[in-house]
Amino acid sequence: MSQPPRPISLLIAALGGEGGGLLTSWIVEAATACDFPVQSTSIPGVAQRTGATTYYLEIFPLRFSALDGPEPVMGLYPAPGRVDIVVCSEILEAARAMESGFVTPETTTLITSTHRVYAISEKSHLADGRYDRESILSAMGELSHERLCADFSALAEQANSALNAVLLGLLAGSGKLPMPVEAFVEAIEARGIAADANLRGFHAGLNWTPTADEPDAGTAATPSLHLPDGLRQRIAGSFPAELGDVLQAGAARTLDFQDAAYAEQYLDRAQALMPFDGADRDYALCSETFRELALWMTYEDIIRVADLKTRPERYARIRSEVRAGPDVPVLINEFFKPGVDELAAVLPERLGRRLRAHRGRLAWMSFSLRVGSHSIVGHRMMRLLAGCRRWRRRSLRWSEEQALIERWLGTVRRASQTSYDLALETALCAGLNKGYSETFIRGRKNFLRILESIIEPALDGVAEPLLVQRVKAARTAALSDDTGAGLQAALQDVPLQVVERDRLDHGPRIQPGDTAKRRRAS
Amino acid sequence: MERSFAREVQALRLGEGDVFHGEGILAITKALLQSGVSYVGGYQGAPVSHMMDVLADSSELLDDLGVHFEASASEAAAAAMLGASINYPMRGAVVWKSTVGTNVASDALSNLASAGVVGGALIVLGEDYGEGSSIIQERSHAFALKSTIWLVDPRPHHGTMVDLVEKAFELSEISHTPVMVEYRIRTCHMHGRFRCRDNRRPALSKTAHLEQPEFRQERISLPPSTYVQEKLKIDQRLPAAIDFIRERQLNEIFEGDLDDVGIITQGGLYNSTIQALQHFRLADVFGKSRIPILVLNVTHPLVPEEITGFCAGKRAVLMVEEGNPDYLEQAVNVLLRKAGLNTTVHGKDVLPHAGEYVAEVMLQGIGQFLSASSPAGFDTGGISTSVASATSGRARAADLLSGPVPKRPPGFCTGCPERPVFSAVKLLEKEIGKVHIAADIGCHTFSTLPPFHLGNTVLGYGLGLASSAAVSPAFPNRTVSIMGDGGFWHNGLSSGVSGALFNKADSVLVIMDNGYSSATGQQYIPSSGRNYQAQPTGMSIARALRGMGVRWLRTVETYRVGTMMKTLRRALTTRQPGLKVIIAQSECQLARQRRIKPDVRRKLARGERVVRTRFGVDESTCTGDHSCIRLSGCPSLTIKPNPDPLRRDPVAHVDNNCVGCGLCGEVADAAVLCPSFYRARVIENPSRWDRWLDRLRRRFVYDPAAQPASAR
Repeated sequence: MSQPPRPISLLIAALGGEGGGLLTSWIVEAATACDFPVQSTSIPGVAQRTGATTYYLEIFPLRFSALDGPEPVMGLYPAPGRVDIVVCSEILEAARAMESGFVTPETTTLITSTHRVYAISEKSHLADGRYDRESILSAMGELSHERLCADFSALAEQANSALNAVLLGLLAGSGKLPMPVEAFVEAIEARGIAADANLRGFHAGLNWTPTADEPDAGTAATPSLHLPDGLRQRIAGSFPAELGDVLQAGAARTLDFQDAAYAEQYLDRAQALMPFDGADRDYALCSETFRELALWMTYEDIIRVADLKTRPERYARIRSEVRAGPDVPVLINEFFKPGVDELAAVLPERLGRRLRAHRGRLAWMSFSLRVGSHSIVGHRMMRLLAGCRRWRRRSLRWSEEQALIERWLGTVRRASQTSYDLALETALCAGLNKGYSETFIRGRKNFLRILESIIEPALDGVAEPLLVQRVKAARTAALSDDTGAGLQAALQDVPLQVVERDRLDHGPRIQPGDTAKRRRAS
Repeated sequence: MERSFAREVQALRLGEGDVFHGEGILAITKALLQSGVSYVGGYQGAPVSHMMDVLADSSELLDDLGVHFEASASEAAAAAMLGASINYPMRGAVVWKSTVGTNVASDALSNLASAGVVGGALIVLGEDYGEGSSIIQERSHAFALKSTIWLVDPRPHHGTMVDLVEKAFELSEISHTPVMVEYRIRTCHMHGRFRCRDNRRPALSKTAHLEQPEFRQERISLPPSTYVQEKLKIDQRLPAAIDFIRERQLNEIFEGDLDDVGIITQGGLYNSTIQALQHFRLADVFGKSRIPILVLNVTHPLVPEEITGFCAGKRAVLMVEEGNPDYLEQAVNVLLRKAGLNTTVHGKDVLPHAGEYVAEVMLQGIGQFLSASSPAGFDTGGISTSVASATSGRARAADLLSGPVPKRPPGFCTGCPERPVFSAVKLLEKEIGKVHIAADIGCHTFSTLPPFHLGNTVLGYGLGLASSAAVSPAFPNRTVSIMGDGGFWHNGLSSGVSGALFNKADSVLVIMDNGYSSATGQQYIPSSGRNYQAQPTGMSIARALRGMGVRWLRTVETYRVGTMMKTLRRALTTRQPGLKVIIAQSECQLARQRRIKPDVRRKLARGERVVRTRFGVDESTCTGDHSCIRLSGCPSLTIKPNPDPLRRDPVAHVDNNCVGCGLCGEVADAAVLCPSFYRARVIENPSRWDRWLDRLRRRFVYDPAAQPASAR
């Protein structure tokens, strides 16, 4: 008698709640119905709550009826180098399976959806903490024997079905398991739960064929820009073609934020930096500065927010996001809670300053407006607020932002005379200015600290050799946590200049410790 | 519990000759019924919750058989149930998660083991050890040793496991000793099959009553009986057990031709041992091994003659024993020494002291054992290369991937009512500084993980408040203790609340009242309002607290972050001394969704008006700082690539799993975070009024042509 085959081993990696257990049951039931010895196990544990979890199966490709006496002894653990099929519901889980050594080029067929479900550490990063997807894709190419990978989550959505059913279809179609397609169909039908939807998904997976260029889930489509010819011509005439895209986006954005004059001002500011950059560096400095400049010049005050929230295209976007049918009414309420600082920011300079000075006593003025932007009254109120932009040039925040923008641009220009890379780093520091309320205060504080305690002193005196790295380290540290501890550590050997509260256009809303002092009665 | 286990209940009804297909823990449940148990109790917890869930749904079947089933208040209560078997020939079984459950039960277990039993008493342990575990890593073995309880560790094979349950009852009765049967996580969840026997109706049960209570002084755990009982354990019960194990061949010996070496393994690790031997071509797919194997399906007591008999004539054996201390390795060494055998015993020298014996660990350990012991007739030359090549995938992946793959720690479910409490605490801490938080066991323990990192200590189920007793007076500010409703009824009410009131503790207790023992699968608890027999319980946490003398008591709906912050602030700063209790109340979202989803589906199908609420983030106003995520961690609040060509950082995004709990909006408001959140209410099957209003709004609000010029 020839050597009996070894069991086919199958590792399923999924996230809690994704139906990995049901997928496993379908496979077990299909194998059982075909009389193949099968054993499955899993480690749900606490992973049922969004954690990563795995299921492991072994299927013996000889039917019980063909066995004479002993039954196979099957494993409960995937063994490195001996896993035949790895099925992953998401690409990071494929990376995890590879990291654990379960995907090997000699044996493993990898079936994985390439969409991303971000882990908490990736989501909670202060800027961009996403894992490098490209490295997973290239590792998949190197480490797997065969691959079936695409955005199967999208395929499931198209089929109006669940991902686990699509994965079952792919598995059935892969030809790696001894059971015929009908056995899987019967397993789905026997389970009964949402059988129709699951069968749709199953067939979508079964009939899937790889296409040459899989749409990359990592990038988003660029929206079209509204830009008058005058601005377009100025960009084409006065700037190198390499900078055309960013300047058009920037000009369109500033125009959208305020008016054509503001867009011209944006281009004026851009032009002032041109002598400091060149094609030899691919205009990296200009490109980054112009990008940051456009974002900064279109800062988010309540006027801007009200404006963005009442765009007709937004309504369409929300409708599609919440999957509302064409005739289904959708009511939208905004969580809009402007506080004293936000109000002061849009008031005329002097009035705004006075209001801000009384911030402590006026805390009650911060109240939640659950404005119904779907309602005629709510919508008109928001439009009224958006209409205030005609007075924006006189507002407190306007003057503060414009002054700081000029200071930053001046520093970028000065820095470029010391070192091109320092100028680039200085430009990128502007990215720390983002968010609202406390987030904004923190970012602004961090920005000013780096500017005032590293960059400016260096420009005034003698530049130290590691300056660029220090700025970069400080900028990264500022985004490492929201308590400021990281930045503090990065700056520790720098004499700190405390940023005065008045120099921020918002001050901290809450004084840490003021209630902590209130001791209980013993 | 809103889940239905009808399918599993059917499997429990199978009769003689039928083939059972299903999970290990369900097979064991069936084995209990086949053994003629009179009663079953236990406390839920992975990996054995399923036994409780399925039995709770099987009242009809259990009533038919006359089996009494009880969802015990705690593992201690379950263990105490076994007291029925001390005097009466009633077979009984209890189940829980170990070692934590065994810790709780050990008072009753000691007394039970000392008194001894006449009816078979079985303790089914879900050995929650290794990958997928949710508790401290310890072995249950120690309990068996110290209390003289026998420990069965069957090899993962349904037929064997079922057979050993029945034999374990006999063992218990013959040796008058309770028996523990341990099943590891993967074994509990292992799907397999076995041929059934009929369920056996117990001779004594709730339908076949006892006639007379029996009093026997020697079964009371009080001196002088206890001295006699201790002697009985050694003089009678142990020899009886050893004889039974040997005669009935509970342990299995598989012979092999390379018999100058051998492997002794815990039954539970048999499959993994075979898997590793298969790698070295020392075993075939049917488990036929060239190296002799002694499978210890009973790991306490050991049968001395079996060990010495197996080792005699062998130069070396490997003891495959998971976890620490290495009780078995020590015992084997002692037995060999006493028998004058000089067989080398390998074990923790080639296998790790701590951690689960996964395939890779077994491969390396058995590889090292083979290299060290060189079985005659087997070329060990290729072993290290073979192990290295099998395990090279890890290193290759590390080279190719851009860094360690981000972990996915467990977190609160989408829309979980416990999350807002921790959002409130985190926000409050910004205001009043850090607070010492005594955390507890339950879903809420996830607060100690990202993104909250709240909770300074975890001491055990229901012990949150008790664990703050000494640390609380050491802080100038009050401390906060957390307790779940499950933990409250299990232990917290007595050891926590009564202790704190008795000792006049001045601290804050937050009780998560979500209606179920959620972490273990939404089982009913006293405050759920009903029990498994659908009888109303009329028990409430608030009334229990009032009755005990709690004066400062507030009940807050958890999703109201602002109110929760206010209440917490008040509790932490009020001049009123004593225990301040906040009941944070909202139903477990998993249970809620399980209940309302079919309802909504039905309504939609009937064409009734349904308002679907969910939240969203405006990608145009989101600046990508993700504060909202750091204050929530909701799975449905995620990120997506920034559609803005000038921005780089991903924007926050609410995916379609959103259940509309409203936390994002509440947090955005309470933290004055950001104006990007919106709530969308989608009106399915709109009424005529809805449609009329919608048409009007479409004309005046959404129609681009109707927009004021400034909008462009």
